[in-house]
Amino acid sequence: MARQSPQAIFDNANDKLDAGNYQQAISLYKKLELQHTLSGALFLNLGICYQRVDSLGKAKYYFLKASHFEETQQQANQALNYVEGQFSRQSAVLPKLPWDIATDWLRNNIGATNILIIGIILLNLGILIYILRWFVDWYPKYLKIGGLVVTGIAILIMCTSFYTRYISNRYCNAVMVTQKVAVVEKPQKDSSLVSQAFEGYTFTIDNYKSRNHPGWSYVRMSNGLYGWIPNDQIMIL
Amino acid sequence: MEKIGRFFCATGFLVSLLALVTFRAIGQSSVSVEASVSETTIYTGERVNLSIKISGDFNNVSRPQLPDFKGLRLLSNTPSTARSYSFVNGHSSTSYTYTYSLIAQDKGSYKIPPISVNIDGDEHKTDPISIKIIDRNESANSSGSQKPDIFLKLEVSDKKPVTGQQIISNVVLYFKDGLEVNSYQPVPGWKAEGFWKEELKNADRPQATSTIINGVRYRRARLLQFALFPTKKGNLEISPYKIIVAVRSARSSNDPFGSFFGGLGNNQRQVQLETDPVKVDVQPLPPNHAGEYLGAVGNYNISRDVSPQDAKVGQSIEIKTSVQGVGNVSLVTKPDYELPKGLEVYEPQESSDLNRHDHQISGTKTFTDVVIARSPGSYVLPEKKISYFNPSKHKYVTTTLPPLHFNVKASPNAIAATNTSSSFPVQPITGLATWITPTTTTLFAHWWLWVGIALPLIVLGIAYWQKSYAEKMSTDKAFARAQKASEKAHERLDEAIKLSEEGNIKQAYNMLQKALTGFISDRLTLPEAGLSNQKYVEALEQHDIEKNLVKNVRMLLDKCASISYAPNTSHDYLKSHVGLAESTLDKLKKVL
Repeated sequence: MARQSPQAIFDNANDKLDAGNYQQAISLYKKLELQHTLSGALFLNLGICYQRVDSLGKAKYYFLKASHFEETQQQANQALNYVEGQFSRQSAVLPKLPWDIATDWLRNNIGATNILIIGIILLNLGILIYILRWFVDWYPKYLKIGGLVVTGIAILIMCTSFYTRYISNRYCNAVMVTQKVAVVEKPQKDSSLVSQAFEGYTFTIDNYKSRNHPGWSYVRMSNGLYGWIPNDQIMIL
Repeated sequence: MEKIGRFFCATGFLVSLLALVTFRAIGQSSVSVEASVSETTIYTGERVNLSIKISGDFNNVSRPQLPDFKGLRLLSNTPSTARSYSFVNGHSSTSYTYTYSLIAQDKGSYKIPPISVNIDGDEHKTDPISIKIIDRNESANSSGSQKPDIFLKLEVSDKKPVTGQQIISNVVLYFKDGLEVNSYQPVPGWKAEGFWKEELKNADRPQATSTIINGVRYRRARLLQFALFPTKKGNLEISPYKIIVAVRSARSSNDPFGSFFGGLGNNQRQVQLETDPVKVDVQPLPPNHAGEYLGAVGNYNISRDVSPQDAKVGQSIEIKTSVQGVGNVSLVTKPDYELPKGLEVYEPQESSDLNRHDHQISGTKTFTDVVIARSPGSYVLPEKKISYFNPSKHKYVTTTLPPLHFNVKASPNAIAATNTSSSFPVQPITGLATWITPTTTTLFAHWWLWVGIALPLIVLGIAYWQKSYAEKMSTDKAFARAQKASEKAHERLDEAIKLSEEGNIKQAYNMLQKALTGFISDRLTLPEAGLSNQKYVEALEQHDIEKNLVKNVRMLLDKCASISYAPNTSHDYLKSHVGLAESTLDKLKKVL
């Protein structure tokens, strides 16, 4: 049997969504997701399906994913505003540190690869300026300083690129998709309770700390508390 | 005639009364037969009363058929009888009490066997009664430690329970004959640390019975009753229970079997009594390998059901689990069910209904899972094994709850509601979508990263070399002469050919000589002028130059020096010498 194109599956799923067969629509959309054939529209529609079946945690998760695509960013943000207001429990949010805000901005708006490209271009430019003073007599002092400054900035930008990628690899966000779960001090069910988490709560997951404890994730809650949470209670962005 | 008339009147009255009673008896035929003794612990030779009480609605009752008594002797076959009749709210009730006197003969522990009573043709039996007969003389001799005239004791049903097991604790007052207790008041603040406690409610007023402790007769009355549930294992201590009793020393009545609450009188005083602490060794529960353990210890019936079994999308469905029985009902936890997908799960509800009567804690704990199906279909809640610990059997009992099925049908109203009533601001995207297949690579995997870093470094190295060369050429004269020697020599050779072509053969040979000597002096950093040809040759020899090369150089220099004396020298002849000089210079360039 020939494999259906992503658009054909997507159209089929949209028909199910229109007919109110949300579970079937979700199955088809998820098929695309499992094939790693992605689009903002796919995530937006998945979020709408989950919103229709009142699974608001999953709806929030997919709207957040859709918000990363330029073509669906605006609609996804509108949907997120609506869904956030539907949760029975709202969590307090501790403001992020300026450094974290800057890192997040770089990750989400430029990307580590683009930052690295900028750094390499500047590195070449800086070295060329530095070399130039050996062969021309135009303001050799300024060429030397200019070359060194540009090279230094280039190295700094390249380091930022690697740090941004490190942060991307180490930390990621997750959304709580079940009704209620205990966030505990240790990755054991009978460990001391840190806090209760409810559907729709978002967490920052430390992948490096979590990798030695299968089935558990070490999370930072939006109110600044840290703890462990079972993986089957959350969906990782 | 008058006598006959009276007889018929009386007979008619009795018949009508009998008919009324019979009519009632058909409607209700609840009859109870209970046997009791005035003392359960008695001395040899002491008298004890055995009472058989028949109560309820009945017509005919026979005299109790007494069994053979062991250790006791019946004093008379003729009992004393007492009868009462009541008619309340349309219900009649009759009570017959037969009382026999027995005398204790032999010491030991005995049981009065069940006693049969024939009521309306049915045979009813009493429960057996345990009785202990003590030898009066032996008892008097062995009375070592003297107990106080009045004391309080906490009596527990089991001193080696398991965690969570219900143990009954009786607060019992003992007091000697001659004392009369008028009232009692518990001192608040009793704590049973390590236990969950529930006070049991008994409708009966405390009744005093007679008992013998260390050869001394005491009256014994249970004042309060508690159900205790150990919440942890290990040696636990039940702290003393305190009670203030109003006691009077002079008894106004000699009846030892009456209520122990006497009337007010003289010599009354208030005494605070407290029980001794009681140690309980709580055993841990054995490991459970059967089903999910809910923390229940006792004897339970566990069941569950789903309602409704046919629902519509959006309608709430209740899965009710009921744990009913005797034990730690309040401590039972909710079983975890593996709910089918597509169900929305809401906060479960739980409720307890405790019964504190019947000298134990019993009741029902109900857990209600509320779910809502968001899509139509048939749903199955899988089979579930649940276990509780039964302390009387000292093992886990596993109950298998069968699978529950329920069907959910589509509800047009529900879909319409979700589509229209919601103020959800976003509509699905149903047209063409742009698709991507995300790839994740590390930054180090990009080829342009390495090129971008290596290229400027290579350019930097080359530029530095160029810069250093230029600086040396301008500052190091010997280096500059050596670097330019070859170029200069070739220019001079070209000049020599040019001079030869113009017919100036001698000048051409001079130029050839200059080319050779200039090259050697520039390369070996010798003075530019003033040296003889021999000096140049020697300088070459000192640098271990190949002999053939030195020979060529010597020959060429000699030829240049002697050309003035050769009148017929041709251009071709010079060209051959220039060619030789070029090849010689090329070879010298490699070794100098």
